[in-house]
Amino acid sequence: MIAGLLLFLVLPLVIGGVVYVFRRWGTLSSLLSIGMTLALGITILALPLGQVVEFWGRQIVMGGTVSFLGRELILEDVDRVAIAFLYLTASGLFLLAWQVSPGTLLFPVGFGMLSLLSGSLLIRPLIYAVLLVEIAVAASVFALQDEGGRPARGALQYLSVSLLALPGLLVIHWLMDRYALTPDNTALLDVSAVLLAFSFALLMGSVPFQTWLPSVAGDSDPLASAFLFTVNHAAVWFLLLAFLETYPELIAGARFAPYASAAGMAMVLAGGVLAASQRRLGRLMGYGAVIDNGAALIAFGMASERGLALVLLGLLVRPFGMALTAMGLSGLGAACGHDVRVETVRGLGRRFPWSTLAFAVGALSIAGLPASAGFAARWALYRLLGPSDLVSVLAMVGGSLGLMVGVWRALSALLAEAEAEASTELVDDAPAEHDRWPRGLVVGLAVVASVVVGLSPHLLGPIAARLAGFYTFLAP
Amino acid sequence: MPILDELVAEAAFLAALPSVVGVFITATLLVVSQDWRMNVIALAMQYFFVGLLMTQVTRIEMAAVKGLIGWVICLAFYLTEQQMQSSLRSNGSDEAVPLRNWFAARLEGWRREGISAQAAFNFMATVLVAVTVSAASSELPLPQVSGSLTLACYVLAGLGILLIGLSQDPLRVGVGMLMFLSGFDLFYVALEPSLLVTGFLGVVSFVIALGMAYLKAAEVAYSSEESTP
Repeated sequence: MIAGLLLFLVLPLVIGGVVYVFRRWGTLSSLLSIGMTLALGITILALPLGQVVEFWGRQIVMGGTVSFLGRELILEDVDRVAIAFLYLTASGLFLLAWQVSPGTLLFPVGFGMLSLLSGSLLIRPLIYAVLLVEIAVAASVFALQDEGGRPARGALQYLSVSLLALPGLLVIHWLMDRYALTPDNTALLDVSAVLLAFSFALLMGSVPFQTWLPSVAGDSDPLASAFLFTVNHAAVWFLLLAFLETYPELIAGARFAPYASAAGMAMVLAGGVLAASQRRLGRLMGYGAVIDNGAALIAFGMASERGLALVLLGLLVRPFGMALTAMGLSGLGAACGHDVRVETVRGLGRRFPWSTLAFAVGALSIAGLPASAGFAARWALYRLLGPSDLVSVLAMVGGSLGLMVGVWRALSALLAEAEAEASTELVDDAPAEHDRWPRGLVVGLAVVASVVVGLSPHLLGPIAARLAGFYTFLAP
Repeated sequence: MPILDELVAEAAFLAALPSVVGVFITATLLVVSQDWRMNVIALAMQYFFVGLLMTQVTRIEMAAVKGLIGWVICLAFYLTEQQMQSSLRSNGSDEAVPLRNWFAARLEGWRREGISAQAAFNFMATVLVAVTVSAASSELPLPQVSGSLTLACYVLAGLGILLIGLSQDPLRVGVGMLMFLSGFDLFYVALEPSLLVTGFLGVVSFVIALGMAYLKAAEVAYSSEESTP
């Protein structure tokens, strides 16, 4: 009998190796990656927990506890949905990567990261989860560095910041063990809470540690950045929730709530102001991630199950905006030598309509424009917060408007007549997109999916609510 | 492992304050020096001293494994730098310095040009950080470890962060990260002496080293392309 959850740790590593070998055949490796991530994502949702299933003459059982190198791997309902989300998001990103950069290292490295991040959701005690996330972060450097592109300084920053978060998260486990033995020593609890807050502030890019997000988005491979802002960030959020579920004493009495709200407000305001003045299109995606994380923290600061459901809904809809923006940036980057600035993209919109459409719809979705996927989560948050905390709602609207100003400036340049000699020279080398119907089809499908999710929040809302229901640390 | 035990027993006199001094000197060299050969040697020596210090809080075998991982990382850095230097030489942007003449060339360089402004600034910053961590180690002692180990942890972590902040070169930033990780590892191994944690921390260090080597190679390739007319 095969323990099903081991498949989600071992199989991606094997497929990642195969994909790396077949990298030269871009379409083959892309389709293999898309198919396998899709299959694994659906499988983990479809297979019933605790029941034996026969597959190709082999018996597979999902759920329960499995011993791995002497440590426990536990698959519960919440992990099932979380792992499925990671794989399905990766599948969507791979689909877009197939169209813009089929030979990219994102495919093999992405599989390695999926294995590590899935492991981090399953393994106990949590110190091993933290270490697996850190290894995934370190491995992401290989995907973030655009082959032949500018040096990815953002990847260096990301790795440095994540490494600084590691000690705090590892020491919390020891401190809380001591606290369990000496419950009167509340200093241990206070130190643990401070370490937890500091470490996750680093990992989520909270102000003043937000600089790595725009740096990563600005000089790294756009789709790898989108992978990081969706898959990695989701794993970080699930890690935070696992910490709080394991050590509910850390947030007893919801004393974290005002700090989370304040941090969230600082993020949406800083992200909005900086995005409005940004001329590099890639960095707009990074500031979008800052704003989105800030909105999630504001929702988390509500210290209620509904607030948590909105955090998770935000995570579920984020890939639509990020993936589309990244695809647009990749297409435009190929046309202007990976230097995607307002000055260099002038007039490119007419020759690269699919990339321009993807960028516009994606970025506006991150900003939470009505009828886009991002709006589904943002509107629910506005409605829930409005009666009690209008200041936070205004801050979020302000942040979104700031991002929209940045996007508007980029779109104005993209749709303007090409005037600058320099940019025209760059464009002349790149083939136009008009006749690339597969790219148009993929972008069209992604745009339609984004709009459908934006107009029908009931598609993902119940999943987020169900996920939030699995967590008990906010229960009175 | 009797041979390892004997070797460690021979070097036991180094395992306290001399190793802390060794860690401090190598860390200072890594922050101040821009010479890649000297940095690789300093990093290898630092892993030796960290390994010796680790014998105070964990089994010899585990300390030896950590030292070994560190030396493999040094080897990876050495090979990367050597490859990058030969790549730069083939582009004509750097002059070859034979290894046998390296020390003489260094001395001659210092005699003629003195210490660079960058090195002087880095040294001053190192002194400031050293004073700060020295004060911090007596005010905020780490649990489960001795005073000398606390000082070594603070020195490694503090100067590691300083190196990360001062550098843009991927390999130097990587060395800073590894120093920071060594400092934390030295403390954490006393709290959690698990073999699996040791293994995972080793993998973290190794993947960081490989990642930095990859970024360095990408940087050199990009600058070569940029300089080609």
